[in-house]
Amino acid sequence: MSAVAPAAVFFAVAGLVPLVVRDAFFLDGLVLILIWGSSAAAWNVAGGYAGQVSLGHSAFFGLGAYAAALLGTRWGLSPWLGLVGGAVVATIVGLVIGYLSNRLRGPYFVLATIAFSQVLLIVGSRWRGFTSGSEGIPVPFRPGFWTLGIADKRVWVWIVLALAVVVYLVELYLDRSRRGYQLAAVREDEDAALSLGVPARWLKVAAICVSAALTAACGALWAQYVGFVDPLYVFSVDLSVRFALAAIIGGLGGALGPFLGAVLITTLETYLRATFGGIGAGFVGIYLIIYGSALILVVRFVPQGLTGWIAARFVRRTA
Amino acid sequence: MATPLLSLRGITKRFGGVIANRDVSFDVQAGELVGLIGPNGAGKSTLFEIITGFYAPDAGDVRLDGQRLTGLSPDRVSRLGVGRTFQKLRPFAGLTVVENVMVGALQKCHEVRRARQEALEILSRVGLDEKTNAHARTLSTGQRKRLELARALATRPRVLLLDEVTGGVDQRSIPGLIDLVRELHTAGLTLLVIEHNMRVITAVSQRIVALHLGQVIADGPPAAVTSDPRVIEAYLGQVYV
Repeated sequence: MSAVAPAAVFFAVAGLVPLVVRDAFFLDGLVLILIWGSSAAAWNVAGGYAGQVSLGHSAFFGLGAYAAALLGTRWGLSPWLGLVGGAVVATIVGLVIGYLSNRLRGPYFVLATIAFSQVLLIVGSRWRGFTSGSEGIPVPFRPGFWTLGIADKRVWVWIVLALAVVVYLVELYLDRSRRGYQLAAVREDEDAALSLGVPARWLKVAAICVSAALTAACGALWAQYVGFVDPLYVFSVDLSVRFALAAIIGGLGGALGPFLGAVLITTLETYLRATFGGIGAGFVGIYLIIYGSALILVVRFVPQGLTGWIAARFVRRTA
Repeated sequence: MATPLLSLRGITKRFGGVIANRDVSFDVQAGELVGLIGPNGAGKSTLFEIITGFYAPDAGDVRLDGQRLTGLSPDRVSRLGVGRTFQKLRPFAGLTVVENVMVGALQKCHEVRRARQEALEILSRVGLDEKTNAHARTLSTGQRKRLELARALATRPRVLLLDEVTGGVDQRSIPGLIDLVRELHTAGLTLLVIEHNMRVITAVSQRIVALHLGQVIADGPPAAVTSDPRVIEAYLGQVYV
């Protein structure tokens, strides 16, 4: 069970920073940290809490992004509706993936999720008539809150912060509720959970659907914030790995873990891009190497993730 | 006689060419403690899997208090009142001892705090109250057996199926476990117990059902069953093979 205090401090600081800091680069980083943190936490609902490790969550993220972008460009509808629509579509796709989770175990399930995101990648990049194909969709900037055309990055911080808190509260519910305990039992040993009357199949599917809907919401806000949806990016395995990585590095056990993982990964990536990136630089892909190394180090030395490591140190000191 | 609490009728289960259970029929009355014995491969565990809904029988019917269980999923069977332990222990290794038992208690109790209270009471009943906050993976085999028992008890079953309570447990822990089973029975629980250890099973059971090659070969009071020539032959046969 995770303590709420550190999370309250984390979210409060994130919410107060825009009152003090005006630097656009910094605020941009904060918005992205919160979006990636929310995505990782949404992934954690399925991957951590339910133990259904997916490397295809970009499917849901992309569906959210496309829903917001297409509803805006094709029918002039609000991206908020796109957010809801994307979440609904992602939930339906989540049902399919959830069904697969009851058929496939371990690596087979992981492969199926990757395949799923790749199918959507192909649809997104080939169905030119509807999605504009691999050129992607520029999301028009229509000023106003209802159209999410907001230039002020401080407001963006607060919008994505609200989403982050929602995802965090979902995780907290899974930490403390009856359904949360039952889901943990399914993750630890499905047959034993069944023998105690836990509706294991139903719970897994529900967790995957919730995870999918939240991930889609992240995608919708991201599309509106960044202003461009590229199928090769939003449906990429890269993105799926990023969600999983942030959650694993941060620690699957705690609700705050994925957010801490996102802080680490996003700052690291931004720093590496700034240092080694740029046109013609020889180190364009180096952040991937560093990602990989970070993952290996974490899994080898702190398998319980950052939050677990911090908690263990803290407990040892007070014991 | 009243409707038996648990009733098996004509249970048959094949795995390819192997027949694990052949036309198995017997009843367990409410409040009874029935022992299920038989040499390795007699089909005892398969029968447990069928009663609890993990396997579907090829033929036959399982009923609880007259209600048909055959064809229901294992979680439904558990919610209707059939508890079980596993021969190969399956603790929720990453959860603490009390959390393990809470999962059982949460089946009927929808409030986490009350479920924790119930779990703690059951843990003291099975003698694990010293270990409540330890992780399940740190327990000894004997303690894990008690944990499985506590977890199943927490679902408040109408009948509890125990698969090898004393199997794999060191000699010193056996008497304690047997006393525990006896206490549960005295408190009114109906039990169906698989046991390899003949001494144990004859000491605790009111009635014994013996299986051999998937079939019921004897059903009656312990003394009668253990002196039944077919039962002796089945066990001796195993020794000589």
